Amino acid sequence: MRIAVIRKYKEIGRLYMKAQLAWRADVVFGILFTVSKIVFAYLLWGIIFRERGEVAGFTFHSMLSYYLISSFLSQLELSSGISGEISARIRDGTFSRYMVLPVNIEGYFTAMEAGVMLFYVIFELIAAFSWIVIFRIRFVLASGALMIAGGLAMAGLGMFFMVQLNFFLGILTLKYEEISTFLMIKDNLIALVSGSIVPLALFPDTVTGILKCLPFYYVRYLPSMLLTGRCGEELVRGIVLLGLWCIGMQVMISLVWRKYRKKYDGVGI
Amino acid sequence: MRKKFRIFRALLRIRFQNLMMFRLGFWGPFFVDGSLFLVQLMVFDAIYANVERIGSWGRGEMILYIGTFSLINAVNMIVYFFGVNGITEKIKSGEMDLYLTKPVSPLFRLTFERMNPGSVPLFFFSVGILAYGARTAGIQVSAAKVCAYCFFLGIMILLYYCMEVLIRSVAFYLVSNARMEQLEEAGLELCMNLPGIAFYGIYKLIFYCILPYGIMATLPVQSLMGELTPVRAVYGIALVCVFAGLTSLVWKNGIRRYNSASS
Repeated sequence: MRIAVIRKYKEIGRLYMKAQLAWRADVVFGILFTVSKIVFAYLLWGIIFRERGEVAGFTFHSMLSYYLISSFLSQLELSSGISGEISARIRDGTFSRYMVLPVNIEGYFTAMEAGVMLFYVIFELIAAFSWIVIFRIRFVLASGALMIAGGLAMAGLGMFFMVQLNFFLGILTLKYEEISTFLMIKDNLIALVSGSIVPLALFPDTVTGILKCLPFYYVRYLPSMLLTGRCGEELVRGIVLLGLWCIGMQVMISLVWRKYRKKYDGVGI
Repeated sequence: MRKKFRIFRALLRIRFQNLMMFRLGFWGPFFVDGSLFLVQLMVFDAIYANVERIGSWGRGEMILYIGTFSLINAVNMIVYFFGVNGITEKIKSGEMDLYLTKPVSPLFRLTFERMNPGSVPLFFFSVGILAYGARTAGIQVSAAKVCAYCFFLGIMILLYYCMEVLIRSVAFYLVSNARMEQLEEAGLELCMNLPGIAFYGIYKLIFYCILPYGIMATLPVQSLMGELTPVRAVYGIALVCVFAGLTSLVWKNGIRRYNSASS
């Protein structure tokens, strides 16, 4: 029984992985444009490090390594499309196509995200390696296997949390009808609090203390730090906290879904 | 001119009536872009908590830069973004026919038909950032500096408009201009976060000449700080003239090539 269920989700993931091949040009250009984040870091920190050797514990090359990993993770994390897709489908009444499937809808989106991510991971690795060569980055990677494994595990858990969050936001359309503005604001804020624009270590301790209570700290920032060989002491606490956030989010999804599912009438808003 | 003004007023009235039907979305662009520039302020605040200067610019100059980009973006959002942004789709779907048959310039109508008064608070928000930046930078504001700033701001808004129209006019010639729009997005995102003073070598060539987003907020700020050299000022004006001419050429030729939905 369990094997049959796993096989269903595996098939969904494989389907979406194959579907990416239909958009080859999008994949290539999407990957090429990741260079803009590296160029941003290279120019901004290049001009800053011209006058100093260290900023908030980072050297120029460790800073670029951080951006490289953080950008790699953010490129793989494509779940923000889930909330937009669910919201648009509920609004135009075509969400029924997911409801009639003999699978759990959240599981469907998780498998979809996993399939797309697995497709992109190879290309993103090639891109990251190219940027290291082109920008002559002396890449800093954690030396311990535990740190690398912990960083990767946390990144995976973080991606799962983002799928949950975006699924949750998407189904909120059942109640609030129009959430697109909120979704755009969410993207702006998450870019800041997940450390995608600048490492969170640059913020004052009070701000970092508050951010540590939020899940976004563990989604991109901490995995990037762990993979560059820093913040090892936060590994266990990070995984436990993120795990708790995932459980909490799952409870919220169940509550909201159970309460508002009946509001969907399949004819659009 | 009087006729165009009457059309402008009519377009604004129609747009207001349309927006009032979706009141929740009315302030949407303000909240989205407001949060974007607020995030940028917080980012540079964090950086300046660790360093004194980025190149020759201190915290005040950077706030002025963010405020200026926000102001250019505010005018873009209020006046022409939503209209110009639809050009590609109208060319592809053949909807451009409706614009060509009307007794008014298609580009004029496209530019002003989807104005967004909901972004007006963004304008005042940007002015607030500028005032804060000027105070932080300790700039002695004089009438001459303000005039120079307003002049360069005006021509950079024109440059931004030209770039948007130019990129979308490519749809007259190619099946898809999605890559061009992707390029625009990436260039804008980069230059919103990075002032022109940070560019050098090949990056300077790209962001000062080919995709000139790098000078858009930089030149007005430099004029306000009294840092703008005559050579750079002339370069800025010449570049706007070149892009305005190029946009006009591409648009007019594109309209001639346009074959309705089969374009």
